[in-house]
Amino acid sequence: MTKHMNLSKFPHRIVSLITGLLLSFLGSCSRIDHKQSALDPKGLVSQNQYDVFMLSVWITIFLFCAVGGCLLFVLWRYRAKSKEEAMEVPEQMHGNSKIETTLILASAIILVILAVPTLQGVVLMNRVPDPNDQATLDKLELDKSQIEDAITVNVTGKRFFWVFEYPQYGIVTANELVFPASKAVRVNLRTEDVIHSFWLPKLAGKMDLMPGQENFMWFIANEEKIRTGIDKDGNPYEVDTQTAMPSVFDGKMRQAIFAKQAFTDEFEAVGGLFYGQCAEYCGNSHAYMSFRALAQTDEDFDEWVLKFRNAQNPNLQPIPYSPENNYEIDDVITFSDEKLGEGISRDFRAVQAVTKGQSPETKPDAWEKVHSDDFVKGKALFSSLQCVQCHAINRTGLGAKGPNLTLFGLRTSLAAGWMRNDEASLDKWLRNSNDVKFGNLMWNGEGIDDRHPLRQLENDDEKVSQLVSYLLDLK
Amino acid sequence: MAIESLKYASPDTETKIEAKVFPRPSQYTTGLVDWLTTIDHKKIGLMYGMAALFFLLVGGIEALLIRSQLWSHNMEVLTNREYNQMFTMHGTTMVFLVIMPLSAAFFNYLMPLQIGARDVAFPRMNALSLWCFVSGGIILNLSWFFTGGSPAIGWFGYAPLTDTRFAEVLGDMGPDFWIFSLQMLGLASLLASFNFITTIINMRAPGMTMMRMPVFTWMTLIVSFLIILAFPAITIALVELMFDRTYGTNFYDFLEGGKPHLWQHLFWIFGHPEVYILILPAMGIVSEVIPVFSRKPLFGYGLVIFSGAIIGFMGFAVWSHHMFTTGMGVVATSAFSILTMLIAIPTGVKIFNWIGTMWGGRIRFDTPMLFALGFITMFMIGGFTGIMHSSVPIDAQHQDSYFVVAHFHYVLIGGALFGLFCGFYFWLPKMTGRMLNEKLGKFVFTLMFIGFNLTFFPMHYLGMIGQPRRTHSYNEGHGFETWNQIATIGSFILGIGIAIGVYQFVSAFFNKRLKPAGKNPWDARTLEWTLSSPVKEYNFARNPIIKARDQAWENNYGPKENHSQKEPLDDHGVHMPDRSWYPLLTAVGLFVMVIGMLFHASIDASGELVRNYTVAVAGGVVSTIGIIMWSLEGPAGYHLFPKEKEE
Repeated sequence: MTKHMNLSKFPHRIVSLITGLLLSFLGSCSRIDHKQSALDPKGLVSQNQYDVFMLSVWITIFLFCAVGGCLLFVLWRYRAKSKEEAMEVPEQMHGNSKIETTLILASAIILVILAVPTLQGVVLMNRVPDPNDQATLDKLELDKSQIEDAITVNVTGKRFFWVFEYPQYGIVTANELVFPASKAVRVNLRTEDVIHSFWLPKLAGKMDLMPGQENFMWFIANEEKIRTGIDKDGNPYEVDTQTAMPSVFDGKMRQAIFAKQAFTDEFEAVGGLFYGQCAEYCGNSHAYMSFRALAQTDEDFDEWVLKFRNAQNPNLQPIPYSPENNYEIDDVITFSDEKLGEGISRDFRAVQAVTKGQSPETKPDAWEKVHSDDFVKGKALFSSLQCVQCHAINRTGLGAKGPNLTLFGLRTSLAAGWMRNDEASLDKWLRNSNDVKFGNLMWNGEGIDDRHPLRQLENDDEKVSQLVSYLLDLK
Repeated sequence: MAIESLKYASPDTETKIEAKVFPRPSQYTTGLVDWLTTIDHKKIGLMYGMAALFFLLVGGIEALLIRSQLWSHNMEVLTNREYNQMFTMHGTTMVFLVIMPLSAAFFNYLMPLQIGARDVAFPRMNALSLWCFVSGGIILNLSWFFTGGSPAIGWFGYAPLTDTRFAEVLGDMGPDFWIFSLQMLGLASLLASFNFITTIINMRAPGMTMMRMPVFTWMTLIVSFLIILAFPAITIALVELMFDRTYGTNFYDFLEGGKPHLWQHLFWIFGHPEVYILILPAMGIVSEVIPVFSRKPLFGYGLVIFSGAIIGFMGFAVWSHHMFTTGMGVVATSAFSILTMLIAIPTGVKIFNWIGTMWGGRIRFDTPMLFALGFITMFMIGGFTGIMHSSVPIDAQHQDSYFVVAHFHYVLIGGALFGLFCGFYFWLPKMTGRMLNEKLGKFVFTLMFIGFNLTFFPMHYLGMIGQPRRTHSYNEGHGFETWNQIATIGSFILGIGIAIGVYQFVSAFFNKRLKPAGKNPWDARTLEWTLSSPVKEYNFARNPIIKARDQAWENNYGPKENHSQKEPLDDHGVHMPDRSWYPLLTAVGLFVMVIGMLFHASIDASGELVRNYTVAVAGGVVSTIGIIMWSLEGPAGYHLFPKEKEE
């Protein structure tokens, strides 16, 4: 009986499997706006690259049809229809120089059609337009200020993550490039180890990071294109700026991305989120070396820069409590909290004016704890487990071995864009990062072996959860 | 066959032969010793071909593992290091151990027959080339068994990833095996090329002027020149890399002031001509097959050859189009972009001429013709995407994406491999004396054509939607899954097709039930088809005197004055050289030397680096002895007196 049922169900299952495959097939091939698609340009440079590409596609389709059609005609017209015909001797013709010359000239002309936009494209990719050259700006539909106020980002590739330094603002972040959508972005590319390649398909194509050399590329996003798109059901939509580009500095971008779609959704509902990838083979974890670029309105970008600058400003870090000082409301100091462990100090914020000698110990009412206990313990672990040796938090730490983790809680992704930056993923990552991203240098780098405290975290729930709450509260 | 056979001794050298210490294996050698010591270009060609077909299966299995890993997101068929090793080995194997030696097999077997020669100019050097190729292939694949496994550096081995500083396994030996095997394979190619050039220039039969040579022989000549001009670049690059890795020099170590860019330039100055080294032989084969199955001479013979030469020449002026994204600046990228577009013109010329050849013909669709037509269409697609890449703005998106993977597989499988399979189906009757099974051949073609397009056409789209090359895994949510699954299914169909094809080729030598081929089963046009199938060891009983291009055709259908003649009979017969052990000995010596170099360094108990060159020196001595003995062993040989009809 069972056997019989299985047999009758079997073809049905195959049919539904095939139908399912076909549907998903049609669904996905009718769309060209996948996360990393070069067919869905959202910036000036990538639009130019796309236009030249489409020109070449039409040219080659024309040629393929012309030559292929000719071939088919010849095969049909001159096929040997019978055994007798196959033994006939046709006229032994050796060539025709007129036809050949014509075809050579024709192909040369077709190449010129492609060569002109190619050369224009080369110049556009390599040189930011001169802000004083109004004619060019008009042609590109750019405003003078968009070029004049361009921001500069120094990108450093490392195995297997990205450092983004903003020299104009003196700040450093990693793996998520925040940029103003209305301004040109100049990108200087360097590497400290092997060759990498910075590929941001929807905005700018790619450029290699060559050791011992600084390469350059630039891009500028198109706000209008960021606000429009096609939703999951295939309908075109247009949203306002705030919806398309939620602000990063107050965590709205992160919330919006987490709320709107699963990490694994194919089609993006947040227009300001761009996916990038290392495109030059760089070792074991090359596949995992991706990154993100987050477009912002001018105001939100300025807010983000300000917040970041303050976080990384050494003069604005809380200083230890001194009984010699008076404190005003909202002043933050560090003071030891022996309840959490020996030598651990934490941040306190004054809730009222504090006079000399009123420490959090002697006058607890005047102070509030800035962070949770877990945060403070996590922070202590971050030092004692030697994380600080490679990761900078609240300082620029250029030259550090690992990604800068300042304001880590605002990041949308983890492990160089490979996973969503939420508690579950971070938990998994901290326990055994080699499982997630085999070959990463946090697990395999110089001087790290089985005795390293990082490798003891696998079954230590308490420490991991403290680290998670510390890192995700950095915002 | 031979009515008389005697030891070769012209009156004035009689004494020398008696002074010989080590006799050369004689005319009557058979079995394994015969194959190991042979200097017959046909046997060497067959061994080249068989070894290359074996490596085709090895590289194919690597490809199928790659495709299995990419079936879906986050697959774990292979670890990422294993995957990286697979694509490195797949690329290196397919380029150096499959396509090049398959072309060499055809060069070896056919070129002397096409120009009316008894053998190549330096038969023993030809054997050395074969054994160097075999040991290069062995060295590369030995890497699987030693520290670090096989190399995980990509077939292009970009510095500084190859530097010991960036090794991901302590004491990784993979790149060293890769370096030395490439040097050996380079040596094999160079030896063969010098040999072919000398043969074609000097050993053509009377009347076989350059402009009467078959196109395939022309392509042999052009490719041989490309090899001798291109390989020195990679030889130097590899020597420098070896010094960097072994002795701590800093040619490419940027932390010590070296220049990774240098590697890329040297590699691609070799690497781009290499592309034409891979495709021109296939173009030559197709240029032979299409006229035969259209029963018309090649349209624009001169232009086809000239465009082949132009492609070869310009191939040296476009290498930097592999480096558009390395930051060469506006001027260099523009110049290389335009030069690359220009190369499309001579390539287009060939396609026009093939179609022109069929125009007005009587087209038969036998298996070789199907492969030739497959070649034209697939190569056309690969050529068109090539034009796209020549445009820098387009390349900025395509570079290192799956679009490029699609492009060069269209050129190298749809182009080169289809061309070579076309050659097998066309010439195996000549080599084995038996016709291949047409139905099975057409079945193989169908499988290969469908499988190939299923595998590689979707990759254009995958590249455009952002799948990067050389990544062992991809995340969910990029929309890569469906098309990768189609590609994987296609790759298995292609794999089955190729496997059946290889089986068919090999079995043709043993399967006695196949129909006998006769001299000229296809009613083909060139000189080799005037000989019996399989060709006798002496090739031509008497030197032919060539009167026309397409001599076999002219003999059948041409006017009387175009029929070939024979040189007058003399009492000298055909001089055949004896076999020789020394090419093999020399190659074995080189092999030992390489092994000695690979394992010369060790760390002793006190942690000091110890270098011990005993084995390497011993290998060097063996190969030197081989060369000396080779020079001293004397001509030897014997004479055959075949009758005209035994040709």
